[in-house]
Amino acid sequence: MAGLAPEGSQFDDKQYDKKMQEILTEDFFTSYDDVCESFDSMGLQENLLRGIYAYGFEKPSAIQQRGIVPFCKGLDVIQQAQSGTGKTATFCSGILQQLDYGLVECQALVLAPTRELAQQIEKVMRALGDYLGVKVHACVGGTSVREDQRILASGVHVVVGTPGRVFDMLRRQSLRPDNIKMFVLDEADEMLSRGFKDQIYDIFQLLPSKIQVGVFSATMPPEALEITRKFMNKPVRILVKRDELTLEGIKQFYVNIDKEDWKLDTLCDLYETLAITQSVIFVNTRRKVDWLTDKMRSRDHTVSATHGDMDQNTRDIIMREFRSGSSRVLITTDLLARGIDVQQVSLVINYDLPTQPENYLHRIGRSGRFGRKGVAINFVTRDDERIVFDVQRFYNVTVEELPANVADLL
Amino acid sequence: MRPILMKGHERPLTFLRYNRDGDLLFSCAKDHTPTVWYADNGDRLGTYRGHNGAVWTCDVSRDSARLITGSADQTAKLWEVSTGKELFSFRFDAPARSVEFAIGDALAVVTTDNFMDHVPTVQVKRIAEDIDDQTEESALVITGIKGRINRAVWGPLNRTIITAGEDATIRIWDSETGQLLKESDKESGHQKTISSLSKSLDWSHFITGSLDKSAKLWDTRTLTLIKTYVTERPVNAVDISPTHDTVVLGGGQDAMNVTMTDRRAGKFEAKFYHKILQEEIGGVKGHFGPINALAFNPDGRSFSSGGEDGYVRLHHFDSDYFSIKM
Repeated sequence: MAGLAPEGSQFDDKQYDKKMQEILTEDFFTSYDDVCESFDSMGLQENLLRGIYAYGFEKPSAIQQRGIVPFCKGLDVIQQAQSGTGKTATFCSGILQQLDYGLVECQALVLAPTRELAQQIEKVMRALGDYLGVKVHACVGGTSVREDQRILASGVHVVVGTPGRVFDMLRRQSLRPDNIKMFVLDEADEMLSRGFKDQIYDIFQLLPSKIQVGVFSATMPPEALEITRKFMNKPVRILVKRDELTLEGIKQFYVNIDKEDWKLDTLCDLYETLAITQSVIFVNTRRKVDWLTDKMRSRDHTVSATHGDMDQNTRDIIMREFRSGSSRVLITTDLLARGIDVQQVSLVINYDLPTQPENYLHRIGRSGRFGRKGVAINFVTRDDERIVFDVQRFYNVTVEELPANVADLL
Repeated sequence: MRPILMKGHERPLTFLRYNRDGDLLFSCAKDHTPTVWYADNGDRLGTYRGHNGAVWTCDVSRDSARLITGSADQTAKLWEVSTGKELFSFRFDAPARSVEFAIGDALAVVTTDNFMDHVPTVQVKRIAEDIDDQTEESALVITGIKGRINRAVWGPLNRTIITAGEDATIRIWDSETGQLLKESDKESGHQKTISSLSKSLDWSHFITGSLDKSAKLWDTRTLTLIKTYVTERPVNAVDISPTHDTVVLGGGQDAMNVTMTDRRAGKFEAKFYHKILQEEIGGVKGHFGPINALAFNPDGRSFSSGGEDGYVRLHHFDSDYFSIKM
């Protein structure tokens, strides 16, 4: 049947489970079962604890209870947890615990797929490590190369970056790998996918052979796990089954729209609801971001937009405005599908359904962050119906028809 | 009622406080910058920059000239309200949790958390009229409480200090000697962490909210339990109307569990109860995360709520509210 997903597609749940089972039964992982119910019981140094409590944390989340200590012990780790449940603080704490603050050389390298995410991680790392005097630098594309070189030359303990810029700095020897002993991949399955894999490989080749590796993501398909075997040593793993990955706190809806052309009218009908709190609208191409932005503005709707082709200064301004609440509706591509944490986002709209299945989970995970419920609305054309069906089965979720009173849900 | 949504905080709200005249609303959050708003229309007036950690509580002096804030960065700070200028910083060995000026604004009570080897404390600081005379010295330090002290407030005539916190016990202390005068009854009192405490306008009684899913009304002098308000969610915040026989409760499930459960399980409404009859009058929806802070305007005509979602919501009551008959 022409409409069926081809054998071996990533939405094939039997194939996914079979591959996952094969990997998990191999003698590759380390067992680690300890759970620490308070930060005080983790054996962290005092000034790191000060930073954790100053940040406003009071109790560790589930991933933090299990994930911080093995990382602090220098073990390789693979850690998967649902969106918005505290993975960033887990690896930031693990890194900060192990740095030698008397040595102002790069000792930890964190790679993230987007500039916005790298900057967000840098901010958390800096906040948690404030009492330790950590020097952390976000090494991302689109910013001044000369400035990056100057900062790296003055000495930093941690570099958080995007692969392209980091590799460039390593190649120019502005970033010296000699003292790097921790290497973290955030959004690891994305970093190990076709788009980034070669860059990660090139960077890894330049790092010391004896290095601790941590990989973190909300989605960890078997293909990504397979690749980790090539550069990890008996990692401690924390994995979540695919049918437990979706957060129940994010209510998922669909709207049937017969034709692509009618999506715009539907979006305009929803606009007043969108603007009540903060919303992110995902489309699949950069050109379409521009098109949709123009259309919305021509109908007198205030929207912001960002995508990978925009210059970095503009991207930064837009993110700052969105975070602070100055703008409320943001149209973007999958550039912002992963990791971005904005406090007041409560609604995600999939104007186009994602072409990569994992990105469905990541996109809707921009709302429903730690401590907050969320809503996701999918615009479904006839061509998209199959995808919605597959998502529901694969992730064990229910996507309901959008009720008339959607404003009450926000 | 149509709420006014106040945007400005980038992380969860922790505390709300009106000034005595009710024209200013102060909000605290985990984003380091307490904010002051016009209490009538929700316009942002300014921020207080200087803390390096989450800010847990604040209080404003009677004449609205000074603000005091308690922060997880292990300091409590004094500010000039009108200019945002930082006047003084009290340093501690542990996160500062609760702060309150005494009547007359010459004293302030500050609590510090348990942190590593440091036990929780209640400290009384003298507040100098002339900031050049201000010192860090404590007039009194109370220890001996196990578990975090979430709230400490002055009792009538500044003679006592009332504390409540993690061990579910309310205590009344002599504010001169530090002697423990009274403890809440274990049987009728709260069974879990007390998260919040708020006094009536005349300080003759106060209300406490607890993770045991109830709020209780107490006599300030005798620590007699007067009323209990039962709800179906942990209570993070409480307040008493200054003009009507109503109390408001807010909370919701633990922030850590919110995204793991269906949206119906959140229960993030602010709930109003009749203070005397203990019956629920109504609720106000809107937050999509637990409510962490609630406050009535001193004029009794509006209230504000702050949530884990980073929003402050300002609600002016409908006329229906003022004509409720029970």
